Amino acid sequence: MLFQVLRWTAAGLLLASASTAQQQPEQSVNPVGRSEEAIAEGHELYNRTCTVCHGLNGAAGDRGPALGGGRSYVIRSDNSIFDAIQNGISGAAMPASGLRPMEIWKIVAYIRSLRATASDAFVPGDIARGERIFREKGRCGSCHMIGGHGGVAGPDLSNVGGERTLASIRDSLTKPRLQIPRGYQPVEVVAIDGRKIAGIAKNNDNFSLQLLDSQDRLQLFTSDELREITYKRESLMPSDYGTVLVPAELQDLLAFVSRQVVHKAERRRRTQEDDQ
Amino acid sequence: MTNRSASACLLILSLAPAAAQVSYEQMLKADPGNWLTYSGSYNSQRHSLLKQVNTTNVHALVPKWIYHVPGAGRLESVPVVVDGVMYLSQPNEVHTLDARTGRLIWQYRREPALRRGPNRGVAVYGNRVYFTTPDAYLVALDARTGNFLWQSKIAEAKEGYWSPAAPLVINGKIIAGVAPGDYGMNGFLDAYDASTGERLWRWNAIPRPGEPGSDTWAGDSWKTGGGDTWLTGSYDPQLNLIYWGIGNPAPDFNGEMRKGDNLYTECMVALDADTGRLKWYFQFTPHDVADWDAVEIPVLVDATLQGRPRKLLVQANRNGFYYVLDRTNGKFLLGTPFVKSVNWAKNLTAEGRPILVPGVEPSLQGTKICPSTSGATNWMSPAYNPDTGLFYVAAIEGCGINTKSYEKFRPGGFPFDATGYEESPEEPRQLYVRALELTTGKLKWEFKQIGSRAYGAGLLSTAGALIFAGCDQGIFTALDANTGTPLWHFNTGQAISASPMTYTFKGRQYVAVEAGSNVIAFALFDE
Repeated sequence: MLFQVLRWTAAGLLLASASTAQQQPEQSVNPVGRSEEAIAEGHELYNRTCTVCHGLNGAAGDRGPALGGGRSYVIRSDNSIFDAIQNGISGAAMPASGLRPMEIWKIVAYIRSLRATASDAFVPGDIARGERIFREKGRCGSCHMIGGHGGVAGPDLSNVGGERTLASIRDSLTKPRLQIPRGYQPVEVVAIDGRKIAGIAKNNDNFSLQLLDSQDRLQLFTSDELREITYKRESLMPSDYGTVLVPAELQDLLAFVSRQVVHKAERRRRTQEDDQ
Repeated sequence: MTNRSASACLLILSLAPAAAQVSYEQMLKADPGNWLTYSGSYNSQRHSLLKQVNTTNVHALVPKWIYHVPGAGRLESVPVVVDGVMYLSQPNEVHTLDARTGRLIWQYRREPALRRGPNRGVAVYGNRVYFTTPDAYLVALDARTGNFLWQSKIAEAKEGYWSPAAPLVINGKIIAGVAPGDYGMNGFLDAYDASTGERLWRWNAIPRPGEPGSDTWAGDSWKTGGGDTWLTGSYDPQLNLIYWGIGNPAPDFNGEMRKGDNLYTECMVALDADTGRLKWYFQFTPHDVADWDAVEIPVLVDATLQGRPRKLLVQANRNGFYYVLDRTNGKFLLGTPFVKSVNWAKNLTAEGRPILVPGVEPSLQGTKICPSTSGATNWMSPAYNPDTGLFYVAAIEGCGINTKSYEKFRPGGFPFDATGYEESPEEPRQLYVRALELTTGKLKWEFKQIGSRAYGAGLLSTAGALIFAGCDQGIFTALDANTGTPLWHFNTGQAISASPMTYTFKGRQYVAVEAGSNVIAFALFDE
């Protein structure tokens, strides 16, 4: 869901961003591009030729590292990955593959896609129309901020394209979420004086509750001030954009959201939960 | 953004609650239940009208919660509290807590972060939180969620600038300063539009050739003159004047390289809040060669002096003297040492200019200078209690050995000290809390912080006739404001370098202080 921040990718992203933040986003030299078709073909080639050592679907194998997990693979350029597959890695067990160049490029596209965030992915669609859908038909802006404008009930999406994969953003829009992330749990409370307040639990424990109410005001309670606390099972994030929007509109929205990246100066905070 | 989507965006914004969280009127009133600015109020007296905790019951003060700031070193910020929500900062980070339970509401972390510290706090205005950064930006966040709203570049970090002081909000303007003068970077004070981040004015602390004061710099020395603005100042709403202390000249320890009085370094300046124009200045240490800075908090008090009621500005300066100025015009009214360790000046003239002791200046082989460069006091906030008429200061006795060299300025953010100092082994630093009569500077009482040989914490005064003080030993102490008698203490376990503050929420008074990497809030024991 859009709420989820892929915290585990953060360290890798920071490394990746360090090399690109000073410049324009890296232009791929890969002649097969980053299309879903090329990635699918690369995936198939990968599973046929690389899994003996590296494991299936980019996971760790018996003899080689997990290409989907190691952060060093994220910062390798397309050329260096191509070179490793074509010529092997001197001094390591990685042999020359013997594959044809175009096959290798497809595998490169696949490896890159394993850890690519949405902003690195090929996302067709009309960005301007996607922004209008974000603000108007989709009403995303009533809960989410981008670039300092929008609502505060949901996470700020200014850097979502730099944090989330395309697949996870699409899932957020179209599939019910299984778990509501910390800080966005919908809750309704009844105070001792009978007042009913609905909102989002920014934090909670046995003895207190910090709530952002439906008027976007912070309300702070200790448990003895509350008669009832009801945690809602469903996130406030709608999961029906697959039906509310026609496919072209959804694609435009994805194109817009995927490109929300804040370069160097304002990269989203790293691992909030790890540090709490 | 298209016009259509921009209007949709405005529509969304207009649906948000219109009520501002903190208004200028609230800040003028300085509601005692809240702590709305770095110094608690525009006059920087750090005197709270709260007295639930007082001399009769302070023995029952107990910690109510501790919040640990992950990865923090020694915190030096002063939390701001608005209606039970506490905002505190460390470099690149803002943490927002339930001030009654210490539970985190949100935190913001700037990435990638330039590591440099300390950060001394945030400002809150409307529904926004403002803070400045190690890479010299002013950043605005949404106060409810920590969402990033905008940032304005104050200065070029690559040149060596950064910004540690808590900003000061004055009626829709955010006042922000810079550091470090020690790198030969010329200081200034800026005002930004609180809504948009647009810069409204800039006052340059070092006059350029042809401007008044430029003749106090020999040759081109003004170009690397320093004079930074690294601690938050005060404000008089009636006079509409901002009072801000200006840092040391550069190079710090070799005055030969910058002959002259070096205006407006080591000054208190009064600036028009609307325009940033200089109304008056008073220079405490002309041609400073001991890197004393004059940034210490200016405290604004209305009191009778020499037979007539006056608007005063008082400051305990790092150079060892306590000063009383007329804040309408900057006229010197009184100056007297508040530490015994003063060897650089015999006295002050009728105009407040120091009468120097010849030879007490940095040398190639080392010269003893008292107070030490670390100062007779420093960033630790003083306090003033109108009930006792006493001015309270964290005072440090001690001397330093200062040396000089002929270092050249290097652009790109390098120290331009022309050498330095070490604490004198014969007169090591000793921290005190001292109570001075406001209008005479005479010592009324002192409390020796035994074992403390480093910077300490600032002070908080309350209407409960208490002074709260901390030290590098980690001991947090409540003193009787009239006598200095210690009435309560608590070992926080970490050195205290920040200034304590107080607030209420739902009828209970809390006293909070940052100790090392923790924030601790105290209240009376709940029977």
